Amino acid sequence: MKSTTASQAAPTDLATAGAARKEPRPHGRGPRRGIRRQLPTSPWLFAAPGLAIVGIFILYPFLSTLNNAFTDKRTLIEGDYVGFANFQELWHDEMFWIGLRNSTLYVLGVVPALVILPLLLALLVQKHIPGITFFRSAFYTPVVASIVVVGLIWVWMLDERGLVNALLEAVGVGKAGFLSDQWLLLLSAMTVTVWKGLGYYMIIYLAALANVPRELHEAAAVDGAGAVRRFFSVTVPAVRSTMVLVAALSSVAAFKVFSEVYLMAGPTGGPAGEDTTLVMLVQRVGTGLTGRVGYASAISVVVFVVTVALMLLVLRADRKEDA
Amino acid sequence: MRISRNPRRAVAAGAVLAVLLPLSACGDGDDGGGSTDASGKVEGEITFQTWNLKANFKSYFEGVVDGFEKKYPDAKVRWIDQPGEGYADKISADAAAGTLPDVVNVSPDLVAPLAKAGLALDLDKSASKYEKEYLPGAWKSHQIPGMDGTYAFPWYLNTGPLFYNKRLFKDAGLDENKPPTTYDELFDDAQELADKSDGKVATLANVPTIEDFGRYGVPLMNKEGTGFTFNDAKGVELLTKYKKLYDAKALDGQALTATPESTGKKFLTEAVAMNPGSALDLEKFKKEAPRLYENIGITPQISSTGKDNMYVMGVMVNTKTKQTPAAVAFAHYVTDAQRQMEFAKKVAIFPSTEGSLDDPYFTKQDGKDETRVRVAAAKSIKTAVNYTPVLFSEQMKVELRNSVARALQGKQSPKEALDNAVKNCDRLLQQS
Repeated sequence: MKSTTASQAAPTDLATAGAARKEPRPHGRGPRRGIRRQLPTSPWLFAAPGLAIVGIFILYPFLSTLNNAFTDKRTLIEGDYVGFANFQELWHDEMFWIGLRNSTLYVLGVVPALVILPLLLALLVQKHIPGITFFRSAFYTPVVASIVVVGLIWVWMLDERGLVNALLEAVGVGKAGFLSDQWLLLLSAMTVTVWKGLGYYMIIYLAALANVPRELHEAAAVDGAGAVRRFFSVTVPAVRSTMVLVAALSSVAAFKVFSEVYLMAGPTGGPAGEDTTLVMLVQRVGTGLTGRVGYASAISVVVFVVTVALMLLVLRADRKEDA
Repeated sequence: MRISRNPRRAVAAGAVLAVLLPLSACGDGDDGGGSTDASGKVEGEITFQTWNLKANFKSYFEGVVDGFEKKYPDAKVRWIDQPGEGYADKISADAAAGTLPDVVNVSPDLVAPLAKAGLALDLDKSASKYEKEYLPGAWKSHQIPGMDGTYAFPWYLNTGPLFYNKRLFKDAGLDENKPPTTYDELFDDAQELADKSDGKVATLANVPTIEDFGRYGVPLMNKEGTGFTFNDAKGVELLTKYKKLYDAKALDGQALTATPESTGKKFLTEAVAMNPGSALDLEKFKKEAPRLYENIGITPQISSTGKDNMYVMGVMVNTKTKQTPAAVAFAHYVTDAQRQMEFAKKVAIFPSTEGSLDDPYFTKQDGKDETRVRVAAAKSIKTAVNYTPVLFSEQMKVELRNSVARALQGKQSPKEALDNAVKNCDRLLQQS
């Protein structure tokens, strides 16, 4: 028995147990233990660059914004902690409510269009007919175009002396204040957002439609279902999860809208600032040498909370449908 | 267990760090700075930042830098230029990060917050010997109400006439050689132009700005610089007249959302009959709108105070510079009479140095339109005023603009709108 190693021998008392722990492990178990030792560090080493980027560019700014929301920090002045004073001020700030109203209206106006229209467009360009690639590319072009260029083109078209008003005048409708009327301006900006987003979501739907079994359509057709019936009974259920994804993505993007409204409504946010969105308000109050960073951060926190709530709402609706 | 415990600890440590790091940012960010004494030897390397001037004036500024380095062989200047768009944001980012260049091209409204944050050198303390070289009004343009001192060297000044479209005036039955010279005439002519063209031709394309209130004779701020006063009876009167113009379509339909660029374009395309501008614009009209150029009329700015509005540019020295003597010497060198005169001859601006405006370049006519505008503007600039209060920030401009828009749309009375604007601007002033 003396020839056996300490690890093989069962310790009979505390002294021998302690001695057993100090004994080197059998040679054969070394490598396995080596692997176990490497496991905790090596994945983290691989993940480190990514984590560093997330930490520096996402986590730190996020926590910093959260922290600033409770201060009266300005661009050149660090400021002090003011508790919930910024949020209390928001409650009484007319522009904040205008921003919240417009951002919410934007979601309500844009999301249904971006869920339905790209699906219809995808159904159109799904067919394998000669020249269809051209149309697919054409519909995708606005997605890759710069938003500034897109915005400028639409501003020219919707100007009082632009193409759209010229056409309206030609058919006897008369000019419309697309860039001067509060509601028409918001609607024009929504149109640009939908126009620019159609191609992007169309591609997502095309991928989803490719996975809808052909047999389902064929079976429905054999049962006498027409194109409309097949759309509602076969296509829509098959791409429902994609529709939820599109709804979630587009609602978050719509609530955070900035560029379209800024380009069309100008830096004041439309006449008397009536088309200001929440993100425009963040930019207006939080930038420049006299920017109120703390207050702008408080608005950003509200934007964050609402976007998270929107995501949860959409996902919850999806889960209910599943149940 | 060991595999998961370490990462948890790392994540926890990371989270603590992430929370503490931002908190640490709330401390005093003062990293010490240079001296305010500018009397030492001019030496060392300094950085000079201009505002969108490299594209057109590269060789001029390279010449200025070379001349300075020749005069002070131990000094070196690194010239950087920033685009016009977002210039204030760039300065604020640099100021917040402690990377503001040693010598910076600024306007008075940019100097005010920098001076308040202790980043602009007080020239009354460090360079008062140069004061007599500049026009008194120009030297004062970088003084901040409520603070002692002058925080930038005055650089170039700009002003300009009102351009009007003679053809549009003639078509409306107005005498194209008798443009309006008073506010009353302006409003009458505008009404007539709108009536005769059935609302198709507006006379103005922009809502009244703070400069317009100033030119109309409205007191903009109290003497202490602690509150705005443009909601007085005269201010309400001006806004009421603008409301009438808006209702009569004598003010462009898109004026409520217009920018200086968009109003310029409206004038260029002959959609509006009048627009303020400078001698620089004549060249643009000639190139981009020859038909407009054929019919261009030039008239002085309309002002009830007898003083035109002018824009002022300055050159500020960063208090954190490690080379104060070199920075002050260079800021003075760029803005001295010789350099300003050279620059004025390259571009349609006016020097802020004493006596420069008496140069024949600014007094003698040669029959050209450009010269006519230059000579007239140079004459008016001697008495011109920068009507924009230095404490009037971008956010305040938006507040005023939004209130004016509410009044023009009839959502608020002019009095109510201006009271609201003053209240909001005062609040922003307290918070700045």
